[in-house]
Amino acid sequence: MIYRETGNFVTNYFKDREIFPMKFDKVVVILGLLFLFLYVPTTSEYFLSAHVIPILAVGLATVGLNILTGLTGQLSLGTAGFMCVGAFGTYNLMLRVPDYLMSLPVALLLSGIFAGLVGVVFGLPAIRIKGFYLLVSTLAAQYFVWWFFNSYAWFLNYESSGVVAIAPKFYDYWGLGNLLGVDMQGYPARYLLSLVVCIGLSYFAKNLLRSNTGRNFMSVRDRDIAASVMGISVPKAKLLAFFISCFYCGVAGGIYSFLYIGNVDLMIYEVDRSFTILFMLIIGGLGSISGSWLGAIFVYEFPIVFTWIGDFIFQGAFNTAVVENVSNMVYGVFIIALLIREPGGFAALWATTKQKLRMWPYPH
Amino acid sequence: MSDILKVENVTLQFGGVKAITDISFNVKEGEICAVIGPNGAGKSSMLNVINGVYLPQIGTVTYDGVERKSINPRDAAIAGMARTFQNIALFQGMTVLENIMTGRNLFMKSTWLEQGLNIGRAREEERVNRLAVEKVIKFLQIESIRKTPVAKLPYGLQKRVELGRALVAEPKILLLDEPMAGMNLEEKADMSCFILEINKEQGITTVMIEHDMGVVMDISDHVVVLDYGKKIGDGSPSEVMANQDVIDAYLGVSH
Repeated sequence: MIYRETGNFVTNYFKDREIFPMKFDKVVVILGLLFLFLYVPTTSEYFLSAHVIPILAVGLATVGLNILTGLTGQLSLGTAGFMCVGAFGTYNLMLRVPDYLMSLPVALLLSGIFAGLVGVVFGLPAIRIKGFYLLVSTLAAQYFVWWFFNSYAWFLNYESSGVVAIAPKFYDYWGLGNLLGVDMQGYPARYLLSLVVCIGLSYFAKNLLRSNTGRNFMSVRDRDIAASVMGISVPKAKLLAFFISCFYCGVAGGIYSFLYIGNVDLMIYEVDRSFTILFMLIIGGLGSISGSWLGAIFVYEFPIVFTWIGDFIFQGAFNTAVVENVSNMVYGVFIIALLIREPGGFAALWATTKQKLRMWPYPH
Repeated sequence: MSDILKVENVTLQFGGVKAITDISFNVKEGEICAVIGPNGAGKSSMLNVINGVYLPQIGTVTYDGVERKSINPRDAAIAGMARTFQNIALFQGMTVLENIMTGRNLFMKSTWLEQGLNIGRAREEERVNRLAVEKVIKFLQIESIRKTPVAKLPYGLQKRVELGRALVAEPKILLLDEPMAGMNLEEKADMSCFILEINKEQGITTVMIEHDMGVVMDISDHVVVLDYGKKIGDGSPSEVMANQDVIDAYLGVSH
């Protein structure tokens, strides 16, 4: 089977709107899903815990930032702050709400909504200010959230070290683990939960992107005056974008703390992480959901692969400081190179490749 | 026929600059009204006042029987005003289809949750509105470029897409800001046909700013002439052509 549009006839508008219009795509997607759901959980605990789950968490935050920055054109540096709200929200919901009412998926959803509301509050200045000036407001969100959770120890249950480990009972899922005889705290179960959330929310984001809401967001990004003349409420679109984006970041924060590292720690959600997620977004491609995932994988894996190369080829010549600095330099080079050559990031490169495959082997 | 739009004693100032001074004119329902005048006469500002992008300091605009001191652009759109811009204001990052679909946003009633889940009303709305969009695409003969990003299109086609985006909103009144600027003769003829057809077949009142006198005199029913923010002529094309003030404004006066 070759990658070809020939023979894929679109006979109605529903078919024309499909996410994967080509048969080849559909087959690849189904195989990919089978791989993710059946093979990946059986790989090693190390692979799941050190590579896959963190990528799912930061990738989801990148998708969230993409809705705000890529689709609606509102720059944000508060991503880690909103993730932090999600993580602390999940923790407090699990801790304080009676067990028979609360379970991790519900807590993730609710804390995502909290984070979304916090996002709306810090997004209010976006109604009046644009572009780089908005960075100040979102940066304020980042520092405010950090200061807030640092100052009120109640949110960490008065844990003096500033870090709380997550109790095993939080992975109870209303006794589902016992029922199925599966260790729900184990990495395969954690992975599957994050995978389901990430695929679900990516699908939601993709639908938004190709529907009226997404078009409204993009019109606000491209020409806000023309958008308002068309009858689009620009403030409403901006605030909705903040809510949805921060909802994604909140859920991502919950996943990061609960399903990846297994503790709630303020230090993880410093401003560096906001920048890293912004790098993922830019390298992956603004405005593309699949691009966000590609960017997240690249930025997250680069230091790991680089260390691995150091260990195996240069007998451990690179220490962590070297790896970190080189990684930052590489991200910088990539961002500059992409901005010059391909502002659409990896997603645009991927689209070009697909276009070329479609024409291959007769490019004219 | 009744007046759909009445501009009364409008004055618009930017700081010390008077862009429009005490202008009044009426637009009858179903006519093509051309607003002409030399550069800087205040024509685009006038259009911006009508649909609420600028707020005039003095004066009122009566549209569809409602007298307003000011209106915001969104309410103007809801009341059935659609417009195009002088320097094309398409959404550059979107395709032709997406741009024109944006013009249908007031017809989309489903919530973002339904749209995100792609269920029920949201799915059906995409289909119904796509049907309306396809009619406009067919009318403007841009079928072949429907999935092209607008940034890649030549100028003339972009103007056409922008007209489509305004038209698809099913407006009562269409405000066109220089729909034929920078076009060659053939493109102008096409665009004139579209405007005439929109006006005569679909009965949409059109207010148009245009510099090409041939086009203005041929297709408009009513011409308003502005110069330095003041109205110097108002009437049928032949009346305006005979107006001494208009001749002076365009050709200059001997001192």
